[in-house]
Amino acid sequence: MRRFLVILKKELREMLTWQTLMPIILVMVIYSFLGQVINTEQKKQAAPQPITVVDFDHTATSQALTGTLDKVNFKVTTYTEGTVEDAVHRANADNSSAVLVVPQGFERGILAHKPQEVQTYTIMRNFSLVGMTGSVNLDAALSAMNQYIGDQYIRSAAPGLDPAVVRQAISRRSFVTVGTRVAEADPQSIAGIVTQQTMVIPIVLMLVIILASQMIAASIAGEKENKTLETLLSTPVARGALVTAKMTASGIVALVSAAAYMVGMKSYMGSLIGDTGGTSTGVSQAIQKLGLVFNAQGYVLLGLSVFAGIMVALSISVILGAFAEDLKSVQVMIAPLMMVVLVPYLMTMFIDINTTSPVLRWLIYAIPFSHPFLAAQYIFAHNFIAVIAGIVYQFILFVVFASIAARIFSTDRILTMKLNTAGRMRRGSWTIGREGISFRRRK
Amino acid sequence: MEQALRVANLKKNYGKFEALHSISFEVAPGEIFALIGPNGAGKTTTLRIVATILQPTSGTVHVYGMDVQKDAARIREIISYLPEEAGAYKNLTGVGYLTFMAELFASDPAVQHEYIQRASDITGLGERLNDKIGTYSKGMTRKLLLSRTVMTHPKLAIIDEPTSGLDVVAAIDIRESIRSASADGMAVLLSSHNMLEIEYLSDRVAIIDRGTIHDIGTPQGLKEKYRKSNLEEVFVEVVQQ
Ligand SMILES: Nc1ncnc2c1ncn2[C@@H]1O[C@H](COP(=O)(O)OP(=O)(O)O)[C@@H](O)[C@H]1O
Ligand SMILES: [Mg+2]
Repeated sequence: MRRFLVILKKELREMLTWQTLMPIILVMVIYSFLGQVINTEQKKQAAPQPITVVDFDHTATSQALTGTLDKVNFKVTTYTEGTVEDAVHRANADNSSAVLVVPQGFERGILAHKPQEVQTYTIMRNFSLVGMTGSVNLDAALSAMNQYIGDQYIRSAAPGLDPAVVRQAISRRSFVTVGTRVAEADPQSIAGIVTQQTMVIPIVLMLVIILASQMIAASIAGEKENKTLETLLSTPVARGALVTAKMTASGIVALVSAAAYMVGMKSYMGSLIGDTGGTSTGVSQAIQKLGLVFNAQGYVLLGLSVFAGIMVALSISVILGAFAEDLKSVQVMIAPLMMVVLVPYLMTMFIDINTTSPVLRWLIYAIPFSHPFLAAQYIFAHNFIAVIAGIVYQFILFVVFASIAARIFSTDRILTMKLNTAGRMRRGSWTIGREGISFRRRK
Repeated sequence: MEQALRVANLKKNYGKFEALHSISFEVAPGEIFALIGPNGAGKTTTLRIVATILQPTSGTVHVYGMDVQKDAARIREIISYLPEEAGAYKNLTGVGYLTFMAELFASDPAVQHEYIQRASDITGLGERLNDKIGTYSKGMTRKLLLSRTVMTHPKLAIIDEPTSGLDVVAAIDIRESIRSASADGMAVLLSSHNMLEIEYLSDRVAIIDRGTIHDIGTPQGLKEKYRKSNLEEVFVEVVQQ
């Protein structure tokens, strides 16, 4: 135990260097920064939009329309003289991006119950994604004006009838049910929040598994290359302690970086879903009522699943690292593992596991890393059996791979085994250089 | 008296390839014993087996009476192994590395301190010990590792190619450190393909080539036996027989 701690301390000191911490900190900072930027952009959108109205009609109706725009969050500047060109020019100078022209004879046409036409000019000067969506707001202006005129028609044709009733004779109350629970809520906003929660976990998990696997494989391959592993193997440290100390150290680094990524991602994701300054109390109450928040049990299950996934990845990486002869070959050795992590990541993002074909479904279940990706979905759906089965499966795989790793370290395979692609022994043959095993690839 | 090391009929196979064909030799306590032979002769293989990190295919190896396969854990307490061309953890300082290794061998802080002190004295690196090992020259790293090897007062030190790749000054320095460390009773098993340096360093040598030991003796005795002026010529004579 004492020697385990000595090795653990050394591993942590080796792994927690600026080279390894920088990418983690960078990702965290970049994502929080992106989140902040998107948030402030969205706040800007919520502020009153400047619009320039060129009123050539000079009537009560055209003035009333301008007033309507005020009410639906536009900051209106009105011109009644000059040409349209002048108005656009001035709007551009005022940094306004929308111009609306009400033609002469507008009121007369309305009173004669004839369809009328206004012209809108959108000044595009900002081609960022957020900047360009600004033009959509003219639709809001037009529908506000249509509503105003429509109300006028209803009032004059059917006095005593509330225009609001004509516009919307049927309203609805929407409910969402999950399992046996029911809550009054808008399904869109519930879905938004759940997606946010279930998307953050896979992304973070994938980053962390890749990071931790590379770290431990590089640590073992580096020690082989430097011969420090041979030295350690000849000291009184138990072989098991050596492997577990390495796995614990990279596990700790993985968890620390998971926390860091989580903080960064949450802010970023929150802004994407449009979650400015927390969800509204109505929605969050509904979420509570539906059981779509992680309670203690949910967190424990999710945590166990993620932990088991990381442990499986680490135990596989120990074996891959033992095959690598030097640091350079680590990337090649670890590549297959990366593929196996990426597959369920993409699948769980784009495929509904419940409706996909059975073959594909069991293939996804067979990959141990699918389970942490799926856990959040299953916990929300209260399918705890599936989560627990996944955790058990992962732990069985971990025990299998960890005992293979322990066997490799307790025999001389750790020093003699390598995938010999250079054909040192026989040209065109693949050899695992140890007693008994040698595969020949036919040409 | 009990031998520090007894190797009897040792064979080692890598797959179908037999790297050692039944070799035997003994090393007495306090003796410096060298395996000399060209690259690929089987020196590193022998040293790794004695260091308990490779298993013999057949034959026996005893370190102070303990069997390398059955008593590996106890042997590891009293030996120290310095691999060929070894490096150290580049992100640790020299002192950090010595501390790490001292903590692995001893649990008593006073003993750890004594080990670190002894190693620091032997390295002669002074203030540079506080720098990261990544900044050391090859000679400095080798000196640090050699000091680490002898600091725990091992009863048997196993040193693979102690001076390979070093310049003359650094090589002489290393040789002298090995000599003085063995003065207080430590047995040394070393290997080299540089037969001239071995003449100055070792009490006895074994000439090994392609997995077979051809002869064993003191450098002086071998030179007289084959009537040659240096070990290199002895080697050529022995191997051609
Ligand atoms: N891991 C291994 N797998 C296969 N062959 C090996 C391995 N290690 C060493 N050998 C072979 O065993 C022979 C002896 O090698 P080694 O003991 O390293 O020689 P030396 O140290 O004297 O140069 C060489 O032919 C070498 O190619
Ligand atoms: Mg060698």
